Amino acid sequence: MTARTVIERALFVVFAAFLLSVPWLVPAFVSDFWVNLIAEILIWSLFAASVNLLFGYVGLLSFGQALYFGFGMYGVGIGIDQLGLSFWPAFGLGIVSAMAMALVSGVLAVRLTWHYFAIITIVFSLIFYFLAVTMKSLTGGDDGINFTMPPTFSIDGNVWSFTNQTFQYFFILATVTLCFYLMYRVTRSPLGKAFLAIRDNDVRASLIGLNVYLLRLVAFVMAGFLAGVAGALFAFFGRYASASYMFYQVSGEAVVWAIVGGAGTLFGPIIGTSLFIVIREVVSTRWEHHALIVGVMAILVVILAPKGLVGLWRDALSRLDTRDPSATVTKTLRTEP
Amino acid sequence: MNAPILETRNLTKRFGGLTAVDNLSLALPGGRLHAIIGPNGAGKTTFFNLVSGLLSADEGCVLFRGRDITGLKPHEISRLGVKRTLQIKSVFHQLSVADNLWITYQASNRFLHPFRDSSSDRNAGERVDQTLEQTGLTALAERPAGTLSYGDVALLEIGMALISDPQLLLLDEPTCGMSPAETERAVTKILEMAKSIDIIIIEHDMPVVFGIADDITVMAQGAILASGSPAEISDNERVREAYLGRPEDEDYVEEAAHA
Repeated sequence: MTARTVIERALFVVFAAFLLSVPWLVPAFVSDFWVNLIAEILIWSLFAASVNLLFGYVGLLSFGQALYFGFGMYGVGIGIDQLGLSFWPAFGLGIVSAMAMALVSGVLAVRLTWHYFAIITIVFSLIFYFLAVTMKSLTGGDDGINFTMPPTFSIDGNVWSFTNQTFQYFFILATVTLCFYLMYRVTRSPLGKAFLAIRDNDVRASLIGLNVYLLRLVAFVMAGFLAGVAGALFAFFGRYASASYMFYQVSGEAVVWAIVGGAGTLFGPIIGTSLFIVIREVVSTRWEHHALIVGVMAILVVILAPKGLVGLWRDALSRLDTRDPSATVTKTLRTEP
Repeated sequence: MNAPILETRNLTKRFGGLTAVDNLSLALPGGRLHAIIGPNGAGKTTFFNLVSGLLSADEGCVLFRGRDITGLKPHEISRLGVKRTLQIKSVFHQLSVADNLWITYQASNRFLHPFRDSSSDRNAGERVDQTLEQTGLTALAERPAGTLSYGDVALLEIGMALISDPQLLLLDEPTCGMSPAETERAVTKILEMAKSIDIIIIEHDMPVVFGIADDITVMAQGAILASGSPAEISDNERVREAYLGRPEDEDYVEEAAHA
């Protein structure tokens, strides 16, 4: 095993242990507020992962993922408030409507690439943002929909619900972890390799027999799934759904988080999202122009570390490996026959 | 004569006022190595683009083994067994050499499993190892393809052609930019492949063309100028003229005549 894998595994274990102990560790040192903030970071990381799946693994830069986040939110909000659904059907409605919207817009959007693709994703999200703002009877407009939280599990009179902060945290942690695990499996699968091939060279990918259009559409719907789950979780978390989360600024933030953290890496979105949300929370209480820090950092990372913070970290670790004399470096001299 | 593996009828492609491929009708019999030569701008690469589906024809049709493939998408044509390489070496730069081969092998599957670990597919793994050995790239298997030397990328291209089990292989200037030693290696591989696969090759290196081709088709201004055996082509007066129009190509024909 190389030094890099040892260090990365150790960090992973520490990170997992930290996440599992948050409800007890964090109130003891900081406050209850930070438990909720970490839950929120987890949700937004999942949202950033949806941008990352498209940009980092398939090469499509979407500035409209907030649309599917918003559909996840409204699926839950409308499901509970107007259709009287309980927790799980509402959760399902949020995810399915996000995926359905991704399918419909994807059919048109993935015909395009690069800036044309980015523009059409913005256009779609703007159309539905303004629809959501104007259709007050369904969406509540600017005020959004507030709803009463139904219980998650209710077995033999025992009730588990998001009103319990610890349960809420662990439910969010488990759901986000499951989604990241699914994404990890996809990136290592035949489908994931086909995504990477399309990202690298779409013309060549079509010449070796990959159906580029269909694969991009599959990725787009998968990204819609991730954004939809994030939106549904966020609706449960805040007990409301609002059109303001469908605005393209929300999409743009996720793009920054994913790219600064490291597009094309599994953990990049988590790192980027954590960093920016923590900066926002810490600095915004003292200085109103905290967005300036975010902007400067984003620019610096894009210029100095094109593969994001995770890329920077990996470069540092592989330098460690090459300096380590115990590491076995196989060098074979190839000669022309 | 064998039934034609590739046939075109009145194939025409225009770019604005320029007719890149002009009413081209040809029938290439199977079991032979065909070369297409011609001055720059003769429409050779456009012809390949029409056959492989990257461009759609304005008129005419393309038949592969008697089946009309005009208007099919590139991946559909590829799945029928018509594979090609691009003139500018074109691989998946950020994927490792082994992954380049792996995805090429898997690409024609209709279903790509979304969750199974790709290293668990033994069959594909064996084919990749075998192809790495055939092309002499085993030592570079884990290197990202973007870091390879030009000659090694060309070998990888040939490996990708091999592993995709083509029925008809279109090679667009496979030895372009290679050192003499690399060219020799590539030519050996191409001749080896030609024993079991039908190959059409576009090539500017005349000694290579006249050394390996069974039949040569000469294109000029989108149309066929001449076709025949290497000996017939090197004696053809019109071919000489087409090349003499461009003085820098003159010595090629001279060289070819003595090849």
